[in-house]
Amino acid sequence: MVPYDSDGLAGSAPSSSSSITKPPQIDGLLAGAGYKVPSSELRHVAQRLERLETAMLNSASHQLSLLASDAVLYNPSDLSTWVDSLLSELNQSQPLPSLPSDLSDLVPNSTALDSSWGMEHSLSQQQNQNISQHQQNQLMVVTALEEDSAIRLVHMLMTCAESVQRGELALAASLIENMQGLLTRVNTGCGIGKVAGYFINALSRRIFAPAGSISGVGSCYTYENELLYHHYYEACPYLKFAHFTANQAILEAFEGHDCVHVVDFNLMHGLQWPALIQALALRPGGPPLLRLTGIGPPSSDGRDSLREIGLRLADLARSVNVRFAFRGVAAARLEDVKPWMLQVNPKEAVAVNSIMQLHKLLASDPTRNPAIDIVLNWIRNLNLKIMTAVEQEADHNQSGFLDRFTEALYYYSTMFDSLEACAHHPEKVLAEMYIQREICNVVSCEGSARVERHEPLAKWRTRLTGAGFRPLHLGSNAFKQASMLLTLFSSEGYSVEENEGCLTLGWHSRPLIAASAWQAVPDVEPALGVIDNNGVVL
Amino acid sequence: MVVPLNTWVLISNFKLAYNLLRRPDGTFNRHLAEFLDRKVPANAKPVDGIFSFDVVIDRGTSLLSRIYRLTDGEPSQPNMAELEKPVSSEVVPVIIFFHGGSFAHSSANSAIYDTLCRRLVGICKAVVVSVNYRRAPENRYPCAYDDGWTALKWVNSRTWLESKKDSKVHIYLAGDSSGGNIAHHVALRAVESGIDILGNILLNPMFAGQERTESEKRLDGKYFVTLQDRDWYWRAFLPEGADRDHPACNPFGPKGKNLKGVKFPKSLVVVAGLDLIQDWQLAYVEGLKKAGQVVKLLYLEQATIGFYLLPNNNHFHTVMDEISKFVSSNC
Repeated sequence: MVPYDSDGLAGSAPSSSSSITKPPQIDGLLAGAGYKVPSSELRHVAQRLERLETAMLNSASHQLSLLASDAVLYNPSDLSTWVDSLLSELNQSQPLPSLPSDLSDLVPNSTALDSSWGMEHSLSQQQNQNISQHQQNQLMVVTALEEDSAIRLVHMLMTCAESVQRGELALAASLIENMQGLLTRVNTGCGIGKVAGYFINALSRRIFAPAGSISGVGSCYTYENELLYHHYYEACPYLKFAHFTANQAILEAFEGHDCVHVVDFNLMHGLQWPALIQALALRPGGPPLLRLTGIGPPSSDGRDSLREIGLRLADLARSVNVRFAFRGVAAARLEDVKPWMLQVNPKEAVAVNSIMQLHKLLASDPTRNPAIDIVLNWIRNLNLKIMTAVEQEADHNQSGFLDRFTEALYYYSTMFDSLEACAHHPEKVLAEMYIQREICNVVSCEGSARVERHEPLAKWRTRLTGAGFRPLHLGSNAFKQASMLLTLFSSEGYSVEENEGCLTLGWHSRPLIAASAWQAVPDVEPALGVIDNNGVVL
Repeated sequence: MVVPLNTWVLISNFKLAYNLLRRPDGTFNRHLAEFLDRKVPANAKPVDGIFSFDVVIDRGTSLLSRIYRLTDGEPSQPNMAELEKPVSSEVVPVIIFFHGGSFAHSSANSAIYDTLCRRLVGICKAVVVSVNYRRAPENRYPCAYDDGWTALKWVNSRTWLESKKDSKVHIYLAGDSSGGNIAHHVALRAVESGIDILGNILLNPMFAGQERTESEKRLDGKYFVTLQDRDWYWRAFLPEGADRDHPACNPFGPKGKNLKGVKFPKSLVVVAGLDLIQDWQLAYVEGLKKAGQVVKLLYLEQATIGFYLLPNNNHFHTVMDEISKFVSSNC
């Protein structure tokens, strides 16, 4: 065995002074390698690694294979827990434990889900090689002139955004004109030209539209938006990944429960739910009673679209013998929903599902309590078994306009790039329009109209843990299935990554959306004071 | 001699995780490997004066590279058009880096390699291009070399990477473990096609041969690495049915190429004294010397594999110094 430095201090970060409130000092060098290990635990982790090695050496190779293929592993960044979970797995599979009995309780094994449960959505079979060759042929040879123009375009976009930030609208306006001229010399069918076009458009709305005429809320919820959403759903894997990953987590959370209730923060066409209904139908031991409450905007055309979707889902549920009840809650904004509208039954296990909705609650009105806090609070008190949250992985809620603009330019360029590489979907342009609306909202709206206030995973973690939630880690089984889902799409550029218990989907190693799962931390009523590891603090 | 605790934890963790990924039948648990690999995204916002961005070098094979550069003093994020702004100095070394992982593990966006590449930028005042080459066993020889060659051609043809002094790209090839092996083979292709490489930097390069050497027998299983796992990785990379005297792993072996009279770049070869394959690495150095090539051997008696991943030991600093001298001496 390789001897290690037993006083454990060489190269590690200095130990922190003892303080009840300070979090444990993490070894800085290991953090740079992606692992969070408190310096004070290094020795302990080293010992566990030695134990693990012994355990692995004592295992038969088929046991190791089984461990590798079947065990569900979580959050490799938390090295200590990860090593211990492997040790537990090996201990479980060995008839006679060869390790001392001071191991912690066995980590409950999530049952590997039957991965043959069907997906309601039609996932078209793409011809990988043909398409990428086609794409290659389509990439024009960029002439020096065009490259020059594209670069100048980006420069101008940044200058324009900067002048907008400084309030120099006349300058900004003239830049818009110049850019529109430049656009004619650039290929706007793909690449930077296409994205630049959308951003120029968004900037000009900001500059030229009279104040207050850009309404965010009303225009979002129309039949048109639903159509665009549908094409966005079909053309690229982001929403499918979101639904798939959330369903996986919800399914696992519902294990052992006979009455379950899913609250969907944005029902749309209910595309997420057929797969869950079918998975529940196939559940060992039989399906639970499933209630689905779908939240959505009131229909503008007199139809009760929520009810229509509910009826379709009920038909499906009936066909697979799942007892099902649907309730629609019409609300123009998520913050208008009150918990009593959901009619949660105390005996139910509740899952709250939010696909790209939470960020809309971040617009802060100084005269009222922040909507996000109100909503997160009632979610917690809902008898919550799990909250699945999928959000855009971007920092589009920064206060500085230029920072926001720059971030959005990078983000949406990557997203458009990924869309271009996807196999030819007949109405891809409609999917692009869906994205364009987001761009417009990020760039040209302000105040309560700006609803696309995306924040990155790190910020959501802080916000949610501060609001009384703790993470439910998504494991290697969800990762594997998401990766396999991606191979159904033509492009090799998509990647699923594990990020401390959450999963992200990205294009060319840039994460674009992040999926996470949460449960509520129960409130502790302090009697004399708060009891922590060091004693009682009054 | 003793390994720092956090290094030990890091490398042991890799060792045990990798044991789970290699299957006896020669297949690889790629899903689990990707799940476990700690990755970091590119970051156009400068950190310690260095920013990075990813570029698709070849759409056909989805070949990505991560490019690391120094800012010219601006603390803010360069806009998209400025990412490929022409380098501004008289001489700017461009280091094409091939990450390690025994041909099967890791990626250009693995945290350990992102950190290492950033260090190289700082130490050498260079642009670093880290190639996300295709890995075994899904992609065997010569895919990794092909990808390296594609990256080399790409780098060589970027006008924005040309040094002002002579309007040429000043290219170095570097790599650790399998990356070192790739650097050698890409340099070979370069000399055959007339692209100038100013130097090769090989950190614990991965070589082997059919025979079992003394260091392999002596150090088998002693310092994180076993002969058995080395054999597995070669079987995964080499063409089916090939043995370890294939020129890919044994460039100066019975099937190797004679480099006498060939304009091969000067080499810096770093060998760790506790690495079981050191006899093959030393044989490589000998092979270069016998062919009249310029090679500097840096033998670190007490170093184990992976010592260069964390800056917590003397070997690390020694090596970084040598690399910076090696790269700057070409002005």
